[in-house]
Amino acid sequence: MSPLGDPRGAPSGLTRSEELVLGVSAAFLLFLLVAMLTGALGPTYFLFLVGLAGMYALLSLGLNAQWGFTGLINFSVAAFFGIGAYGTALMTASGSPIAGGLSPLAGLAVALVAAFALALLIGIPTLRLRADYLAIASLGLAEVVRLIALNERWLTNGSAGVRGIPGFFRGWPVLSTFPDAMPGLRIEVIPGSPVILETAFWQASLNVLLVLAFAGVAYAVLRRAHRSPWGRVLRTIRSDEDLARALGKHTYSFKMQSFVLGSLIMALAGVFYAHLNLYVGPGDLDPITTFYAWVAVILGGSGSNRGALFGGVVIVAIREGTRFLNDVALPIDPAPLRLLLIGVVIVAVMRYRPQGVLPPQRELIWPRAVGGSGTPETPDSGVRERKGGGGDE
Amino acid sequence: MSEGALPEGDAALRVDDLRKSFGGLTATDGATFDVERGTITALIGPNGAGKSTLFNLISGFYEPDGGSVTVTGTDVTGMEPHEIADHGLIRTFQTPRKLAGMTVREAMLVGPRNQPGESFRALFTSPGAVAESESANLAAAERILAEFEIDHLATQPATDISGGQMKLVELARAMLADPAVLLLDEPVAGVNPTLADKLKDQIRRLNRRGTTVLLIEHDMQFVMELADTVVVLDQGSVLTEGSAAEVRTDDRVIDAYLGGNG
Repeated sequence: MSPLGDPRGAPSGLTRSEELVLGVSAAFLLFLLVAMLTGALGPTYFLFLVGLAGMYALLSLGLNAQWGFTGLINFSVAAFFGIGAYGTALMTASGSPIAGGLSPLAGLAVALVAAFALALLIGIPTLRLRADYLAIASLGLAEVVRLIALNERWLTNGSAGVRGIPGFFRGWPVLSTFPDAMPGLRIEVIPGSPVILETAFWQASLNVLLVLAFAGVAYAVLRRAHRSPWGRVLRTIRSDEDLARALGKHTYSFKMQSFVLGSLIMALAGVFYAHLNLYVGPGDLDPITTFYAWVAVILGGSGSNRGALFGGVVIVAIREGTRFLNDVALPIDPAPLRLLLIGVVIVAVMRYRPQGVLPPQRELIWPRAVGGSGTPETPDSGVRERKGGGGDE
Repeated sequence: MSEGALPEGDAALRVDDLRKSFGGLTATDGATFDVERGTITALIGPNGAGKSTLFNLISGFYEPDGGSVTVTGTDVTGMEPHEIADHGLIRTFQTPRKLAGMTVREAMLVGPRNQPGESFRALFTSPGAVAESESANLAAAERILAEFEIDHLATQPATDISGGQMKLVELARAMLADPAVLLLDEPVAGVNPTLADKLKDQIRRLNRRGTTVLLIEHDMQFVMELADTVVVLDQGSVLTEGSAAEVRTDDRVIDAYLGGNG
C-alpha cells in the first residue's frame, strides 16, 4: 500500500475533508450534548467515553510515531499497552501479587521503564534488518506478553487479573479527595428526567483530565519532533532507507528512537487504562487493541498526528456507538457487526481516500526556519497544501 | 570543505585489491585504482563489468571479501554506509530515489550532514540552534536550486518532477552534504542534452570548489568532456586507466566493449 497515497489528490480535497471532519465532529458533539441533557446518555458514561477516546488517541499517536513517521510495522501495540497497564497495576494495586500499594506515580515510572526495556528487547535484534523482521517479531512478542500475563501467576495473578488498582490521583493533595468533596448536582433541563452529577461523575472528570494531559503531552512532543530535521530523517527512512544511509544518517539509531518513543506513548495509554478500569486482566492484551490502533492510524492518515487523534475518536465512536444497537431489536448479535462495520470503513477509506482522512500536509521543516523568507506564497500542488489558517501538525 | 585537507597529490579515494563474489559469481576481482584529490575520474566499462558493485563496495553497501577502501586517508573498509558518509564520501544512485510525500526542498534538506535538529533531545533543549541551522540549510538549498535554475520546483512534490530534474535534485542534495568525495552513478542517464549540459557544468563547478568526483557514465561524449582520468573496468578488475584520449584508443578497451575477449 502506498504510504502517503496519491500525491496528486484533488488540491482542494484537504480543505474540504477538514471542513467535513470539523462539521461531523461538531454535529456529533451536539448530538451527545442533547443526549446527555435529555438523560439518554449518562454524563458519567459520556466522560468514560471521552477517556476511552483519549486512550485510543494515545495508542494511535504511538503507532503513528512508528509506522506513520518511520514505516516501522509494529503488530504488538497490545503488548506495549499491556506492559503499561500491568506495570502500574502491579505496583499500585492492593491485589498485586508482588509489590502493590505504591504511589501511582511510581507505577507510571515503572510502566514506562518496562515499556522502554521491552522496546529495546525487540528493537535491538530486528531494527537493523528489513522492515518485515520487526513485523514478524512483534507478532510473536504480542503473544508472548499475553501468555506471560495469563500463565505467570506469581507475577500477574494469571487469568484472575489484578484487582484493587487505585485511581491515578490517590495520595495527591486536593485531587485525591476532590470527587468526594464536590457536592452532588441536579440539573433538570427536561422536566421529569433530571441529570444528576455526583462523586462518580467527578471521578470520571479527573480521569478525563488525566488522559487529556497524557494525550496533550504526547501530541505536543510528536508535533514538535515531526516537523524537524529529525522527523525528516524518519520520513526519508520510511521512503528509502538506503538513501538515508548514503547521506550519513545512522538509520538504526533513528529507527530505535522512533520505536521507543511510540512504545512509551502506547504504555501511557495502558497506564491510563489501568487507573480508569481499576482492573487489568490478560484479556486486555488481546490483539484487537493492536487492530484498532492500526485502523485508527490508517483511517486518520499515516504520518499525521491530527489524523491519529481523529482516528482514535472514530474507533471509540464505532466501538461504543454500536452498543446502542443492543437497544434496537436486531435479529443478530451486534458485537460481530461492530467488526464488520470497521472492516467496511477500512475498505471505504482504502478505496476512496487511501491517504487517510487527514493526511500530513506540512513540510517537515522547522517552522521557525520557514516562517521568514522561505514560505511559498502559493499553495503547492501536492499532498501538502498550505493554507492561510493556523492549523497544526 | 575538503580543500587543504590533504597533502598535494595524495589520493582522495584509494581502492586496493577489492574483491567481492556473490555465490560463484566474482563481481569484483582485485580492483585497484586511486582517485587523485581534486580530479574528476570516470569509471567506465561494459555492462556487467562490476561498476555498480564497486560503488556499493566503496560506499559500504556491500562488505568486501577482501581488499581495502581508503577515503581521504582513513581506512573505511567494512564500515557502515553512514560512517563512510561521515568521512566525507557521499554517493548517488543509478535510479533516482523518490522521496514520497516530500517537496523538492524538503528532500534536499535531508542532505546536510550532522544537523543539530537531527538530535531528538536538541529539538527540546536547544530549539534556537535548530532554527538557526535549519534557516541556513534552507537558504543554501534555495541558493543551489536557483543555481540549477529549478527554484520554481522548490515546493513541488519530489515525486512529481521529471527524471532529469530528479537527477539535478540528487546532485543538489549531495552537494548540501558537502562531500570531500562524491560518487555519481550515471548522473546523466535518461537526461535530455540541455539538462545534461547543465549537470556537466554543475559537476565541474563543484569540482573546482574542491570536491573530488568519481562517476559512472555510459555517455562517452560526456565522459570525454568531463573526466581528467578514466578508469576502465572489465570483469571486475581494472583493465586500464589514463586520460580520456589514451583510453579511447586503447585496443583492449575497444575489445572489451565489443566483446572481443573470450
